Amino acid sequence: MFLLAMRSIRHRPGRFLATLLSSFLGAAIIMTFNSMHDTAARDGVDPTSAETLSTAAGVVGGYGTLLVFFAVASTLTVNVRQRAAELELLRCSGATPAQLKRMVVGEAVVVALVGAALAIGPAMLGGQALLEVFQDSGQVAESVDHSFGPIALMTGIDITLLASAGAAFLAVRRATRGHERRGGARKFLAYAALLSGAASVSATFVFSATDAALMAPPAYGAILLSVGFALMAPRLLEGVLDRLPLSGASGWLAVRNLRERAGQLAGILMSLILFTAVATATLTMQAVESDAVEASGLTKSIDAKNLETLNFTVVGIIVVFVCVMLVNSLYAATSYRAREFGQQRLAGATPGQVLGTVGAETLILTVTGVLFGMVAALAGIVPFTLVRTDGVLPGEAYGIGAAVAAIAAAVTLGTSLVTARRMLRTPAVGAVAVAS
Amino acid sequence: MFRAGSRRTHDKGPAAEALRLVKVTKTYGAHDSAVTALDGVTLGLGRGTFTAVMGPSGSGKTTLLHCAAGLDRPDSGIVRVDGTELTGGGEAELTKFRRGRIGFVFQQYNLLQTLTVAQNTVLPLKLAGQRVDRRRAKEVLTSVGLGDRLGHRPGQLSGGQRQRVAIARALVTEPRVIFADEPTGALDTRSARDVLRLLQQAVRLHGRTVVMVTHDPVAASYADSVLFLADGQLAGRLDAPTADAVAERLAHLGDHVATGV
Repeated sequence: MFLLAMRSIRHRPGRFLATLLSSFLGAAIIMTFNSMHDTAARDGVDPTSAETLSTAAGVVGGYGTLLVFFAVASTLTVNVRQRAAELELLRCSGATPAQLKRMVVGEAVVVALVGAALAIGPAMLGGQALLEVFQDSGQVAESVDHSFGPIALMTGIDITLLASAGAAFLAVRRATRGHERRGGARKFLAYAALLSGAASVSATFVFSATDAALMAPPAYGAILLSVGFALMAPRLLEGVLDRLPLSGASGWLAVRNLRERAGQLAGILMSLILFTAVATATLTMQAVESDAVEASGLTKSIDAKNLETLNFTVVGIIVVFVCVMLVNSLYAATSYRAREFGQQRLAGATPGQVLGTVGAETLILTVTGVLFGMVAALAGIVPFTLVRTDGVLPGEAYGIGAAVAAIAAAVTLGTSLVTARRMLRTPAVGAVAVAS
Repeated sequence: MFRAGSRRTHDKGPAAEALRLVKVTKTYGAHDSAVTALDGVTLGLGRGTFTAVMGPSGSGKTTLLHCAAGLDRPDSGIVRVDGTELTGGGEAELTKFRRGRIGFVFQQYNLLQTLTVAQNTVLPLKLAGQRVDRRRAKEVLTSVGLGDRLGHRPGQLSGGQRQRVAIARALVTEPRVIFADEPTGALDTRSARDVLRLLQQAVRLHGRTVVMVTHDPVAASYADSVLFLADGQLAGRLDAPTADAVAERLAHLGDHVATGV
């Protein structure tokens, strides 16, 4: 079965590109931030520098890791779902469920290893650049040299492998078990994430307004809440669908498709919720922080300014990562539907109606994702603002929220419509004939 | 877009000839490896007839069906469905042309997995923006023997049942011509017989015109007449076919072409 796995990777590299890309990017980000731990652990690093480096690696690396884990897992879940037909064929040819598991997990591990190996070079450069940013801002002594050591390497490889193998295992187990529903574990995880998110957000109130780490609990909390929402995505989606008065053939079809595919779309909704929550929460909190520094009467010190730049850089990296993941999984999910689009066209749908259906589906998905992402973000923003400034909702929240929602809509609609358009280039008869 | 004034002729009532092909030619591939799938095919099928198109693999029967049904554009020649000529234009125009004129039944059913039996059946009406008559849809589904399966998904049905849903879907828009591409190719003999009887009924009871591509002489024997195709050309016709006569003719199809019959 492992040989089969290797062969299937070698002959269809395109299929694994999405997974490879996500494990590569994920590993690169984890390694970049965790190499700060290695750097801090070097001999001759002064305590202040070491503390700055460890905090950066701990705070950002921590929630970055969480994000990467979920992003890699969601891409892999989409990937395995798409291969249901192939797995069914193998099962009919006499492969036992255990063999299928070994094959899919084997493939995932190989792809993750390749992705992590490819990420080492870029992560070294990225770590170097990150250290320079710290040095430029004066938080780390100029004498400190970057070190890319065991911590970066181990965490990068381990987390990527764990996320890939775990997600592949769960996805293939679901696929080989047929349509049996097992909501128990998922529900438990969702509630656990929501509860710990709520706890983390509440923990904000324990800190004082000037604590350096004040931003960490609400940021973690917002992310955990969004993970909780993401796990409940299918049910949230159904709730939204029940309240939609949609008319027209495309809308009608879109609602029915979404209702049926709610479970499969969870991965995309997850990226969407995470993207919205992380981007809105961190950017707004940073804006509040900057305002607070300004309002305190002190002229903004060079340090504070540099810290702001650093924060934006870090948030930028993570937001771009989640955004790439979103495009990645949306592209994979849409391109998989060529046959379905062909069937719609043969039933009398014009290309415009097919695009209309895809557009309506994506719009509903985006609105749902942004809505719950915003709820999670607000849950982090409000406590932070209360503690930091005595206000409730900062004015910046509206602008940042609107910008994030606009980017989310542009990315999701753009990806799925462009992909669907490409799928429509194949004649309908050809599209349904493709053995998927 | 359509020379005969498209919708108006359609509304006036059916033309005498449901399908007319004149010197239809279709070639696939570039000059060196070009394959002529259809080589000047001319034929006319009357309203309310059930015609089977037969021929060995690669004889061009599927291409013929695709060209006649507006799924593919011929390189040259004229295709006229229900008196209206099928002209160029984008896919959207071809789709609108097919609506109400043409129904399909495919070997692989091509039902949407996300929709129930009833929803699949009314989908063409929905897409055409027509009023959906649920009672009528239920009637049609009952007539194909699926009146008690309205809420099922295609995945919960047997192959024969799925094909009957596909037939109901093709019937519900009341098209002039129903094209069936190997409709029994994936079915057991008993389900195949049910499907063929339903196609027969569509012709006898509802006056539809059915064109069925098949390679099975038994399936072809349900038709009123059989058209034989070899190397992209018509190679004879058999009226009131029996399975044996069809098989016999099919076996000697190469001879006929060689002697120029």
